[in-house]
Amino acid sequence: MAASVAGAHRLVRRWLFFGRLDALWMIRDLGSFAGYAFSEGLKVLAAIATMLLLSERFDGVGPWTQPQVVFLLGFAVTANGMIDDLFGYNVAYISRRIGRGQLDHVLMQPQPMPLTLLTEGFSPAAGLPVLGTGLLLLAWGIGGTAAPASPLWFALLALNLGASCVVILAFAYAVGSLAFWAPRAAEEINSSSWSLITQLRAFPLDGVRPALLGGLLSVVPAGFAAWYPCRALLGLDHWRPSVVVTPLAAVAFALVALWIFRTGMAHYLDTGSQRYLSYGHRR
Amino acid sequence: MAATRKYLKTAEMAFSAFFSDGPLVLLDYLMRLLRVMILLALWRLVLDSRGAGATDDPGLSLGALLTYTLIAQVFAPQLDVTTRIEDAMWEGTLTGRFLQPMGLVANFTSELLGTWAMVFLTFSAPLLLLAPALGVDPRPASPLHGLLFVASLALAATLGVAVDFIFCGIAGAIGQNIWLIKYVRTGLMTILSGVLLPLQFLPWGLGDVFAWLPFASMASAPLRVYTGTGDAAWLIPLQAAWCVALWPVASWIWSANRERLAFHGG
Amino acid sequence: MATVASAAPLISLVGVWKTYRQRQRSESFFGQLRSLFRPEIKHVAALRGVDLTVARGEIVAYAGPNGAGKSTTVKLCAGLLAPTRGTVRVMGFDPVKERVRFVSRIGVVFGQRTELYWDLPVASSFEWKRVVWDVPRERYERMRGFVRELLALDDFFHTAPRELSLGQRMRADLGLALLHEPEILFLDEPTLGLDVLAKRNILSCIKDLNRERHLTVLVTSHDMAELEQLAGRIVMIHRGSIAFDGDFGRLRREAAARRVLTLETGGATAPSLNGAELVGSEGGRHEYVFDASRVTIAALLDQAAAQARVLDVETHQLPIDDVIAGIYERWLNDATRGSEDVAAGEVRPPRQQEARVAGQVQVGDGHQQDGE
Repeated sequence: MAASVAGAHRLVRRWLFFGRLDALWMIRDLGSFAGYAFSEGLKVLAAIATMLLLSERFDGVGPWTQPQVVFLLGFAVTANGMIDDLFGYNVAYISRRIGRGQLDHVLMQPQPMPLTLLTEGFSPAAGLPVLGTGLLLLAWGIGGTAAPASPLWFALLALNLGASCVVILAFAYAVGSLAFWAPRAAEEINSSSWSLITQLRAFPLDGVRPALLGGLLSVVPAGFAAWYPCRALLGLDHWRPSVVVTPLAAVAFALVALWIFRTGMAHYLDTGSQRYLSYGHRR
Repeated sequence: MAATRKYLKTAEMAFSAFFSDGPLVLLDYLMRLLRVMILLALWRLVLDSRGAGATDDPGLSLGALLTYTLIAQVFAPQLDVTTRIEDAMWEGTLTGRFLQPMGLVANFTSELLGTWAMVFLTFSAPLLLLAPALGVDPRPASPLHGLLFVASLALAATLGVAVDFIFCGIAGAIGQNIWLIKYVRTGLMTILSGVLLPLQFLPWGLGDVFAWLPFASMASAPLRVYTGTGDAAWLIPLQAAWCVALWPVASWIWSANRERLAFHGG
Repeated sequence: MATVASAAPLISLVGVWKTYRQRQRSESFFGQLRSLFRPEIKHVAALRGVDLTVARGEIVAYAGPNGAGKSTTVKLCAGLLAPTRGTVRVMGFDPVKERVRFVSRIGVVFGQRTELYWDLPVASSFEWKRVVWDVPRERYERMRGFVRELLALDDFFHTAPRELSLGQRMRADLGLALLHEPEILFLDEPTLGLDVLAKRNILSCIKDLNRERHLTVLVTSHDMAELEQLAGRIVMIHRGSIAFDGDFGRLRREAAARRVLTLETGGATAPSLNGAELVGSEGGRHEYVFDASRVTIAALLDQAAAQARVLDVETHQLPIDDVIAGIYERWLNDATRGSEDVAAGEVRPPRQQEARVAGQVQVGDGHQQDGE
């Protein structure tokens, strides 16, 4: 118990510190801050514009009403924002750290690697535009839908949001671990994997063929990024236990990703990294 | 011939380097294929689910829309041109390009052509062949539209190179992180170009406005020409006009900021 | 060069092998396509049965030509790599398996990398170190004051590294590595790219730390003069095996008793000296290199006096860089000709495994098999 409390204290202390560093970085230079804020705003807009405009044009998309589409977008962007907040500085793009030989910087720190990865990327200031937009969209969507909006429902919403983050982060780590074996080739593989998830997460997948849908709920779990948990939360899926499917999937994906990553780490300790690039390292 | 040899060699190097990093590049293709399939399913969902009483013209038949989406992926590198300037600016290796005995534009364009050749062979052509299995007719609206598409695509790619130079030039000129500019560009292309969402589908007449912008000339114009859903008689001249307007801008930005750009990044 | 050393070994490598797999790539397109499905792999043994101990308080220079295995050794000691075979123990720890506890007691500086936050002031990076290494506040403030003074960081302590010179950045990185009072400092090419003054400052700081705090240091570098100033002991590694382990004086003696003789004569023509090689001649000053174990200065001067009017004489040891360059060149030639004939007392390229005896020449193992 004491160890858990000490561990939590360490975690929070590091979050507070890295949060402060992130805020310092944001305000170091007004020009950079303005550029960053503008590009993040545009990034968020681009992520939601297609579906928002489509649902406006056709008064919904398939079985999804317009407010439900907004809720879906809000969920997707909020999950994105949570990941941006917690796993910035290429922690989510782990293939870059591995491929560029930057993992040594993590290994030289006297703390377990999970603690480093869980805290070093904490960037609440940098991630705020996306998270804030997501929460606004969620609120807008909840307001327009027939969601029960009870404390239990909000708890399930939070659980599914967290689970969704775990699923897509696990996917990123599983794919990014390829960089252990091919550091040069797979250095940017997380760019591809994140791009895929980001582009697909906002789409309702109701019209997709069953075989492909199965793939999107397993091999490339874009379906768990927003579509499946939102269907469950909004009652579009009439199978009541569906609200816990995403959390269960998160556990499964996390275990698989952990196994792949640890296998990769064992390989890394054997081979090391023959290349080193400082791009993105504490920049 | 001697003069073009260096450009051909540059293209050949880019072509050959494609597989130098192993088969992981194919994983990228798999992801792009997935995206195509999901987009096709989405359009079927959007248009098929419209009730029998729907009176508004969606602006695009389902068949044309599916073809539009497929061709957008087949020619994705040409419709959203990204040279290696971004990488060079990030790595600080642009200086090395200035030390090569060829123009910057020719240098980066040669590289691009080499990469495009490889992408066409390994992704675009197979996707075209796969189209019937995906329930998509990959043919242009007519042979004439197909011919006009070639001209339109060439103009789109030319314009795309100019826009790439402009964005990267601006990033260097104002000393901004190149990746922020990349996000800005990607955002603008997603919303304004019609590469993902056809401009005809935008509400409030936005599509008619965006159609006049250079981003639409980079992607929407050739796709509309191909599917016969746009009038090539004004789309192609508009593309040409944007080329004429923006290439001097690109040239000026790079000339005026040559020193800053040469030593950017790294 | 005196270093403060005590008996118990702090670093111990026993029979360490480290092998890498290198993928061979063709320059042609079809070659690249072929290698997709049938890659050609080359196994490279970076370390071959290395035995090395370092006692507490020693400063050990670890030298060798490019690709000899220096950085690999440092990474093994720092826990960044696991050996293919053999054991590595530092302060009794297995650096890989006991990483977290281990790295809190060492400092590592790689010359070509920085631990500093690029866009934030150096002070912020120091704060980061305090938090992540859980350095108690009192200790942190004491050490921060110490390194700021030792490394003269005050002028740029509140400046972002992106605006610092390389020398300033290296000093800041060194300060960062020392903040938690490590017992061992691993320095991999710490003065790479620095000017003479910056190098001198860094070396002076390291010597002070060793003297005042008994800090054990393992340093790699290509700058032999720098290493000679810094370290009392030099370990030379060649193609993955230890080729020499001793002090610089003995290295000079064993490498060759080569000296430089400079004559100033009345004329521009350099006298021809039997037993000495003319290496430079300008305006009446003529420089020769000779082996003092084979010919005496007196004999050379007699020869010179017989041919020209000698106005001035100067003699000194060959700079250590030239000694080392000669060693590397001989290794290269021996590898090329495969000769077994090595002059007595010559520092050998690794061929024969011999038991390590304190203070004696140690040579490495020329095992045939790779791919461990």
